[in-house]
Order: sequence, then structure tokens, then C-alpha cells
Amino acid sequence: MIVDAKKAALILPLFFLLGIGYTMITGYWRTDSSKQPSRYSEGELAGEYNPADIRGSYSLADLEASFVIPVETLAKAFGVEDHNDLSAIKVKEFEESIGDIDGKEVGTDSMRLFVALYLNRPYTPEEGTALPQPAYNILKKEGAAPAAQLALFENRLVPLDTFILNEVDIHEDEEESGLLEIKGKTTFGELLESGISEDQLVDVLGGLPMGATALSVRDYCKEQGLEFSAVKAKLLEYLD
Amino acid sequence: MKKKPRIRTTVQILFFMLIALIAVNHTLAESGRGIPFVAEASLHAVCPFGGVVSLYQLITTGTFVKKVHESSLVLMIIVFVSAVLMGPLFCGWICPFGTFQEFMSRIGKKIFKKKFNRFIPYKYDRYLRFLRYIVLIRIIQMTARSGVLLFAKVDPYYALFQFWTGEVAISAIIMLVVVMIASLFVERPFCKYFCPFGALLGLFNLIRIFPLKRNPKTCISCAKCDRTCPMNIPVSSLETVRNHQCISCYQCTSGDGDCPVPHTLEFKTGSFEELEK
Repeated sequence: MIVDAKKAALILPLFFLLGIGYTMITGYWRTDSSKQPSRYSEGELAGEYNPADIRGSYSLADLEASFVIPVETLAKAFGVEDHNDLSAIKVKEFEESIGDIDGKEVGTDSMRLFVALYLNRPYTPEEGTALPQPAYNILKKEGAAPAAQLALFENRLVPLDTFILNEVDIHEDEEESGLLEIKGKTTFGELLESGISEDQLVDVLGGLPMGATALSVRDYCKEQGLEFSAVKAKLLEYLD
Repeated sequence: MKKKPRIRTTVQILFFMLIALIAVNHTLAESGRGIPFVAEASLHAVCPFGGVVSLYQLITTGTFVKKVHESSLVLMIIVFVSAVLMGPLFCGWICPFGTFQEFMSRIGKKIFKKKFNRFIPYKYDRYLRFLRYIVLIRIIQMTARSGVLLFAKVDPYYALFQFWTGEVAISAIIMLVVVMIASLFVERPFCKYFCPFGALLGLFNLIRIFPLKRNPKTCISCAKCDRTCPMNIPVSSLETVRNHQCISCYQCTSGDGDCPVPHTLEFKTGSFEELEK
């Protein structure tokens, strides 16, 4: 039997149509995440959701649905109280907006740790993962983890003031006021564009030359051993 | 004489446009401006290689690597089934990055004419072709260990279809530029030396049901097949081509390709003698 080019041209598109069509009908075809973490497969927690599988793309509503922790509690733990839609906040937004504090990172892994301690489920966080102070306060008050367990994570505590996390409003404010929100991803190029001069940047960086325009300030601070939170505070003074 | 348009080129262009449309629509959909009736899937969700790098995690924990979904696994199975029949048909006919390299190579062919695709001496090239297996093993190993799509950091295909998003690593952009430049000298350089999925699919050439066969009785040994093969396979010296680099592009075949003698180079089962009977 010979397979000529015409037959070859049909083989894969036909297979795609049949394969994708069949899996669509059976409900297996998915092109996005189910927004549900995996479950423990064994042990006494078998069948329960595993905080270790929380991903940055999950919203607080997704976490509430899986772990039955109110979105208000989750948001408050990470310093957010004033927001027009707490449910829609994605876990990765904390990393983008807060990021590095005192060399420890507030991000997705912090959320995993918080949820695990809140429900007293086992979890080993990454080395540089921070636990925000508001989260710790909530855990002490309402969390299921015993005090001895909580104490193990006290060296990861970082101070965190309440702040406004509202992407839509931030962009609107930027357009109106021309002020730049300093985030973990903010680059030197963006700072220059916002009106801060190179001399001012050098001053903020304690005399060090500014990094490449495409480099994020947070990455630069990491490289140079500077505290991002302190640099951010100085930058905000200039922006104000 | 004007060359007749090849059916493969049409299929390639259609799939290239489809993937480009999906990639653009994914960006638009994120800001609530998606095009109606067009898939809003991410590029990762429509890449069968995502299924390959997720296999270990899927077997051990029942979950996919971050950003990979069920669709990648389905596409991987479809491509594997087709590869059992026809080898890396996906590479030669569907893969948008293979198509992109071929477009770039058209410029190279105009510049270097017959010298194009003949810059690397065979004695070195034959070993360099195994580099992609090292890439394949490292990528699978590193992804299994980290649970993250590490290949995206150097993936020129991802860079090509996502460069406007700001999510592409600079290393991937550099890789894309390198491949673009290399494509001016060599046909499909990424496929030949670096593509981990191409490496895996290439192995199906060893077991495919419909391999490329040459009829030595009718072959006039003009070596046109050798010259036209984008992957530099010495087709004229083989009776059954089971080279791991064949991409089933039909460039060398009788009828659909450049072989001037009918029924001399064909993808088929059985022998030519059986047909003659």
C-alpha cells in the first residue's frame, strides 16, 4: 500500500479532528487549568486537597472552594482588605505586588504555607519563602496548627502593612496621575519613563549605578544584596 | 518552468496561521477582547510536547506540569499514533516552527544557491544530529525534577508566537534569533540539532509502518533525492529509509516530490516487486 502526499495531508488533520472531537465529547479535552489542586492520594488526608499544589493562577475564590477558607481571611493574611473583588485576586498577584521583603519572598509559596498551617496539613516551604505577619496573626487566632508547629516558622515572618491591591484601579490611577506603582517586576526603564532621573536612582541605590533598563529593580537588589523594600520606599518618596 | 504548488505547503501555512491566531487570541482573551469562535487556549495547551514532559508527573502524582493541560496529552497521543504509521509527519507537515524555518531558508537558498544546506561537513554533521537527544533527555529530566516547563526558557517556538506578551525569557528570544540566522545557511537547523520533540518523533522512523522505499531497479541514480532532502539524508544509497532525521516531507518522492522517475521513491508497505506482480 502506498501513502501519497494527498493521503498524508489527510492523515494528521483527520486524526486531530477525530481525537480532539472524541475527547471533547467525553469531557477530557481541557485547554485550561481546572483551578483545583491535586488531592492527597494516601495517608489519613487521602482525598483532601493538597496545599502544595496551589498555583499562582488560582484565584482566592478557587482556594475558598477547595480549602473552605473565606476569601476575606486569605486576603487579610496578605495585607489586603480594601478591594472591590477579593474573590478575583489571583495568588500570583501577591508575588507581583509584594515580592521580596528583607530577603524573603512573599508569593505563591507563602500562600501554600499559610493554607497548610491554617488547616494543619503537612507542607515544607521553599528556603526563601516568607510568612507575612498578618497571616501569622490569623494562624495564631484561627489556624488549626498547634503553637509549637507555628513557632517553627517564626524565622520566616516579615512585616506587611495593609495595602491596596487593585489592578484595575492601579492602572486607572496611573493614567490619571502619571504615577508608577512600584512592583517586583518594575524595571529601571519604567522608572526612567516615569520621570525619575538616573542620578536619583543612583541616590536611591546608595551610590550604586542603576541596572540595565530591562532589569527589574527587585532582581537588581537581589544581585547587589540590597533590601528591595528599603529601595522601594525611597523610590516612592521620589514618585510622591 | 513554474513549480507546481505543493499540497504540503498549503497544509503548513494553514496550521501556521491557526497557531498564530490561537496565540494572538489568547492574549486578546486575557483582556476580555477575544475573537469569537476562536480557541482561547494558551500556546502550551496546544503543544503536544507538553504531554511528553508531563508524563513523569502524570504517572507519579496524577497532575500535569504547570501550564500544561489535558489537551497536550491528547495531542501527543494523536501525533504518536500518526508517527507509528508515517513517522514524524507532524514535523514535516504541521509544526509551525518547522514551517517558519523553511520560510527563512527560502532567503538562504536565494543567497547561497547550491551551497545552501551544505556548509557543515558530513563527518561532523552526522554526530551533531544526536545533540537533540541529549536535549530531550535533559529537558525530560529537569522538568520531572522541577515540575516547571523549563524548556520555555529556551524555546524559540514559544518566543516566536509570544514575543509580544513580555512573558518570553530573553534566552528564548536569543535562541529564536540564532535559529533565524542559522536558517539562512542550513535547512531546519533547530529540527536537526536541538528539537527534543523532533528527536522523539524521529525514533518512530525506525518502526514506522509506511517507510520511504527506493526501487533500485528503476532508480537512475541521479541523486536528486539526496540534493532535495532538507535533512541531508543520502536517500539514493538506501533501499528503505529508516533514518531518524526523516520528516516525511515528500520532497524526494516520485509524483509528489523531485524524483523524476515514477514509482521509484514512495512511502509504502511491501516491496516494489509485489506491486509489479
